[in-house]
Amino acid sequence: MTRKKLVIALAGNANVGKSVIFNHLTGLHQHIGNWPGKTVEKAEGTLHFKGYTIDIIDLPGIYSLSTYSLEEVVSRKYIAVESPDLVIDIVDATVLERNLFFTLQLLELGNPMIMALNQLDIAKRKGINIDVRTLENHLGIPVVPTIATKGTGIYELLEKAVKIAEKGSGVKQVQVRYGDEVERRIAELVEALKGIDFLYPARYTAIKLLEGDEEVEKEISRRSRKVASEAKRLSKELESLHGHSCSTVISSERYEVAGCIARNSQKIVSPAKASVEERLHAVTTHRVWGYAFLAVSMLLTFLLIFSFGGYLSGLLGDSLYGLQPVIMNLFGNGFLGELVWGGVLEGIIASVTVALPYIVPFYIVLYFLEDSGYLSRVAFLMDNAMHKMGLHGKAFIPLMLGYGCNVPACLGCRIMETQRERVLAAFVATLVPCAARTVIILGLVGRFMGVQWALMLYVLDILIIFALGRLAFKVVPGEPTALIMEMSEYKMPHVKTVLKETWFRVAEFLKIAFPLIIVGSVLTKAAQLAGLLDPVAALLSPITVVWLGLPAITGITLIFGVLRKELTLIMLATLLGTANFAQVLSPVQMIVFTLVVMFYVPCVATIAALVKEFGLKKAFLVTAFEVAFAVMIGGVATRLLPLFM
Amino acid sequence: MSRRRSKALELPLCALKDGESGIVVSVGEERGRGRGIRWGFGKRLLDMGLTPGTRVTIVKSAPFHGPVEILVRGSRLALGRGVAERILVEKTAQ
Repeated sequence: MTRKKLVIALAGNANVGKSVIFNHLTGLHQHIGNWPGKTVEKAEGTLHFKGYTIDIIDLPGIYSLSTYSLEEVVSRKYIAVESPDLVIDIVDATVLERNLFFTLQLLELGNPMIMALNQLDIAKRKGINIDVRTLENHLGIPVVPTIATKGTGIYELLEKAVKIAEKGSGVKQVQVRYGDEVERRIAELVEALKGIDFLYPARYTAIKLLEGDEEVEKEISRRSRKVASEAKRLSKELESLHGHSCSTVISSERYEVAGCIARNSQKIVSPAKASVEERLHAVTTHRVWGYAFLAVSMLLTFLLIFSFGGYLSGLLGDSLYGLQPVIMNLFGNGFLGELVWGGVLEGIIASVTVALPYIVPFYIVLYFLEDSGYLSRVAFLMDNAMHKMGLHGKAFIPLMLGYGCNVPACLGCRIMETQRERVLAAFVATLVPCAARTVIILGLVGRFMGVQWALMLYVLDILIIFALGRLAFKVVPGEPTALIMEMSEYKMPHVKTVLKETWFRVAEFLKIAFPLIIVGSVLTKAAQLAGLLDPVAALLSPITVVWLGLPAITGITLIFGVLRKELTLIMLATLLGTANFAQVLSPVQMIVFTLVVMFYVPCVATIAALVKEFGLKKAFLVTAFEVAFAVMIGGVATRLLPLFM
Repeated sequence: MSRRRSKALELPLCALKDGESGIVVSVGEERGRGRGIRWGFGKRLLDMGLTPGTRVTIVKSAPFHGPVEILVRGSRLALGRGVAERILVEKTAQ
């Protein structure tokens, strides 16, 4: 017997527990990738239930089905075009009214639908009691109460989902009734749209046209200029009638319906005492305690990630280097053996020991902080400072992470809303001196010139980050999106979901990073074995010797530094034949060398992260800019520093 | 909604003090037909529930002209200072 197939999409606002429900439903059968051609994450999973093979698509968390973000466009296109057998609308019971605003828009798309009324436990604690029957009657769709973090109601949800999906679209669903003036114009447009073939249902298209939705407007005017100008005329009429823009009028009326349903189906008795969550929120956003709390939690995060990462890194490195004799025996001591060991395996070891031990704990901590709701409080506290470099509060997180390792910092830029902000934040994050660069700053300048010089370099770096951040913000096209962010109730993260999210994202990163790192490593090793390094150093000498005033061999160390930044110092010691750099480098040379290493190029793992997140072209642009910038600032320092020292 | 209010009572949301409430008059989206560069931004505020006539309460403002925390339709939002400056409200009595 062939199994019957069903496709179910999960939709809802952000922070409603969607991913927890997704994980309950699909277990380990999931695949995380991107929507074709977009940097919007797409999570898919499968499960088997009552003879059905069910594909679950987890749509991004959004507040509306317009064009504010890429996520909104992707979601509504998916629902309209792919037309899943069923949409499960996941609703946060603690903010019923705003969630219903989204539900009503989903209903306008006309797919079969059921609702999961989630986070009922938190709602109860807030004194919110919702009558499920009343809600069902108002919306005309089944409503299943759930507490996803405890697994309550998930089975019932699935059962109901299959039952409704079997019935198909035969179910009669309620549509929002707008005011008479609006309804009349919607009807006119629906009439005009007859015979025009378009992605969305006619009523939805008509409403979006009235709202002035850019995407729908463009598509419709390509098909029929008459309808488009008719829509413009009608919405002008509404505007002069109400004295507000048409999208304001429609949103207001939709909210009125949502508010009415919410008022009818919930009773709120505010608890006498402020809940633990309330008090935690007050402390963590306090103008004094909030920052103290932030500093402590950042410190703890660092300690956790880097003590654990360092420990694991050492452990893995020791055991992997133990393989060297085995490999050398296998491939011999000649060219091949050197290439396999020094190229392929050293590359693997570099990625396993450097990237992995830090990325895994980083992801765990990041998702823990995000799911608990703390990240939004951090963004609230740091918004002002981040605005100085043209970003908003959320960018603080990747920036801080950059001090540890640039790789998770680049991956963490996903928390920004628009593609433009993600690129800007990632660019800024690659300028932050990571742990490997700290080794050089402290090991060269700090050790041989004094800590005050090392500190100065850090301060200079922060100034440069702000300056370049501002510059990039001005140069990169697009407008800034200001902070408009929900701070949802604090909640205990669901550990299993956090771990699964970590696992699938690490796996996805490795798929892209591993090949790049290994190829880079093999190429450098092959160049070395072929005796190309000295000619290359000679080739680079106009830059290294003439412009930067450094010894010629630094050219070689800088090439190896692309693999791992700390290699620049280790190689320098080997090539110069001494670890006492004071004998071979002047103070100016030390500072210049360190400056160049700080900025010249992100390491190959970071480049891999950039490629994964933003594509080859942007990764190349960032890299090229940073090389040019490092060379420039190094040369300037060579000429200016002697004046002060 | 079409009532014309006297301009004197309207003030930007960020002018309210912590704990004070106001009724939304507009979210800076009034000119033009939803086009122009601010479209997404005003639409987003509407989507989050800040439609004209809605009551908003300032919970607190972050120091150094940082964002403001507001309560609207039972949800807690953080708005950047620049956003809060564009939202016009009518102050309500306590």
